Amino acid sequence: MDVIVCVKHVPDAETRLRAASSGKWIDPDGVKFTVNNTYDEAAAEEALRLKEKCGAKSVRVITVGPARAEEALRYVLSMGADEATLIETPPDAQLDPLTTSRLLAGVIKTLPHDIVMVGKQAADDEAGVVGSALGALLGLPSYAFVTELSPDATTKTLKMRRYVEGGEEHFHGPFPAVISLLKGAADPRTPTLPNILKARKKPLTKVPLADAQAKAQALPGAPVAGTVRSFVLPPPRTGAKMVEFQTPEEAAEKLVKLLREEAKVL
Amino acid sequence: MPIGFELTPDQKELQTLASKFAREEMAPRAPECDKKALFPEDIYRRAFDLGLMNLNVPTEYGGSGLALLDQCIITEELASACGGMTTSILANCLAIQPINLGGSPEQKERLLKPFCSSYHLASFGLTEPSGGSDAAALKTRAERRGNHYVLNGQKCFITNAPQASLFTIFATVDPAKRDKGICAFVVPRDTPGLSIGKEEDKMGQRASSTATVIMEDVKVPLENMLGKEGEGFRIAMQTLDSTRTPIGALAVGIARAALEQASKYSLQRTSFGKKIAEHQSIAAKIANMTIELDASRLLTWRAAWLVDQGHRASLESSIAKCFSSDAAMRICDEAIQIFGGYGYMRDYPVEKYLRDAKLCQIYEGANEIQRQVIAREFLKRFA
Ligand SMILES: Cc1cc2nc3c(=O)[nH]c(=O)nc-3n(C[C@H](O)[C@H](O)[C@H](O)COP(=O)(O)OP(=O)(O)OC[C@H]3O[C@@H](n4cnc5c(N)ncnc54)[C@H](O)[C@@H]3O)c2cc1C
Ligand SMILES: Cc1cc2nc3c(=O)[nH]c(=O)nc-3n(C[C@H](O)[C@H](O)[C@H](O)COP(=O)(O)OP(=O)(O)OC[C@H]3O[C@@H](n4cnc5c(N)ncnc54)[C@H](O)[C@@H]3O)c2cc1C
Repeated sequence: MDVIVCVKHVPDAETRLRAASSGKWIDPDGVKFTVNNTYDEAAAEEALRLKEKCGAKSVRVITVGPARAEEALRYVLSMGADEATLIETPPDAQLDPLTTSRLLAGVIKTLPHDIVMVGKQAADDEAGVVGSALGALLGLPSYAFVTELSPDATTKTLKMRRYVEGGEEHFHGPFPAVISLLKGAADPRTPTLPNILKARKKPLTKVPLADAQAKAQALPGAPVAGTVRSFVLPPPRTGAKMVEFQTPEEAAEKLVKLLREEAKVL
Repeated sequence: MPIGFELTPDQKELQTLASKFAREEMAPRAPECDKKALFPEDIYRRAFDLGLMNLNVPTEYGGSGLALLDQCIITEELASACGGMTTSILANCLAIQPINLGGSPEQKERLLKPFCSSYHLASFGLTEPSGGSDAAALKTRAERRGNHYVLNGQKCFITNAPQASLFTIFATVDPAKRDKGICAFVVPRDTPGLSIGKEEDKMGQRASSTATVIMEDVKVPLENMLGKEGEGFRIAMQTLDSTRTPIGALAVGIARAALEQASKYSLQRTSFGKKIAEHQSIAAKIANMTIELDASRLLTWRAAWLVDQGHRASLESSIAKCFSSDAAMRICDEAIQIFGGYGYMRDYPVEKYLRDAKLCQIYEGANEIQRQVIAREFLKRFA
């Protein structure tokens, strides 16, 4: 059983973002990028558990991004993945999630894959498209928002769980398949220093963008993509009101008065 | 290798690991450990599990085998969360370095391998109640009797002593011989006659433990002596030559945390109708702190880089340790000043930085001794 996990290199949640001069995306200058992309990390952890607990043969991590995205791959290699593939885009490329999906699918198609894992959405654009699109492009079932999975290699079925309105759904389905993960069974592991050092020696393949585009031509359907017209940051918040007080009782009294009379929420 | 200031992808990854551990696991525990002088053994155990503990031990003996520059990068991250915890984590490197430098392959196999195979702490025992700076004047006696030595004496201010399972102890066969009489021994904690005195109640770095080690007729077999009789002093000095630079990095970490806190506060706090950062004298403080922090880090990296290139770096490592720890004191002091009255309060983080930073001027060679080394090494060029 071969497992592939797709991750995205995203801006660190604590980085202060500015709009780029193009007005279409953030200005990457001075932004710290990380793989600490909650759902992707969960997908990576789950992929590694498939290897450790369910006897999967290998885990390969793939990303589409500029050269700096190699960091995200190294991180997952340090967590324990065996091999990595970088589909390298120019530094200023701004990819639509459907374009990303086609590039990924084109390359994944040429690699052994029984289970393809993705986070349910990326921490930056939060599009949540790649999982389903990969399923369609690869001609595989895709299971979304999964919280738990266990494969049975002989029957080639997956037992899965996911949250639904008011409860939890237990279901199964065949694989090869694409799974988009909401969360894993365990917290994503932190790579240990010896594993970081070992990861230096693991193979990382770079696929030039043109090669990935050529591979994507064999996929069903025609390339389609949305176009970003403009990107704006939320306006700074205003309207906060500071309550001056001497005692906690006075603070509570003033707050209740404001909530009732001004905000009219009580 | 040419000079470069950009970290390699590998170094960035080590930095990310250390910074994540520092932020998520060390920092939340730091205030309580400081207040109650708790020794957070679970944190140290976790540092070991992540491979952040025996950084200077070669991989064949179970350590991480990192270059000194890599060690400094990690140390800065850890210290930005808690200076005391970082001292206890680094104390293993200090205690083990004599074995790295003076041990035979057989001794490394026998002593280092089991030590590094699971979580253990070690202590470095050089300083004595009668004086630390003049290490050649140490009084702990080592008497040869057949195929072992018998140790008698006391070591004081020994980091991790209450929890350590292994000690490197420096003792003399004849005090009159000064440095020529000193020997280095590896002594397991359970050796009869070795006991630990009262734990010190410290001003800062209170998450670290410090205590006296008492030796009464402690029998150490010959095969636990590092190097030959009389080589102990050289081993001790070479050890300190290589562990001094990370102390500079530790000071950089503490100072960085202080500067970050002060910068954020100066952009929030207002007086006279503007952010205090907009008052020229506060902005000047931030500028000076930034300059000193940058210089400290670069001096530390340079000293580490020289060692990694195989050069002798007594002068540069003394400069790095001395400047960084003095600068850390100035930076932490200014951070308190920027916080005004709140800076003086224990519920705010900055006063701890000052207390923690102070130790960096004292241990691993007090700064007066570093200046003596710096002047001596530099003046050689003109003599
Ligand atoms: C928290 C803590 C942890 C420590 N951990 C360890 C440890 O793990 N292992 C260990 O072996 N030691 C440890 N030490 C001891 C530390 O290294 C010594 O405190 C240090 O070397 C100074 O020695 P001293 O305290 O005896 O001061 P002294 O040597 O008595 O010096 C007193 C003062 O005189 C100055 N002075 C001395 N000689 C000269 C001179 N020639 N010229 C100018 N000034 C001089 C010193 O700089 C200092 O300011 C630790 C100390 C502390 C506080
Ligand atoms: C232990 C203790 C006891 C005290 N006792 C008393 C007491 O009995 N009665 C009492 O009334 N007060 C008392 N104080 C309060 C003390 O006087 C104030 O802390 C002090 O005036 C500073 O005010 P602040 O803490 O609000 O700092 P802030 O005014 O917020 O100042 C923060 C920083 O900005 C700087 N700053 C502010 N404005 C400017 C400017 N225009 N240009 C340049 N820099 C500027 C300050 O110098 C400081 O470094 C006490 C404080 C402490 C810590």
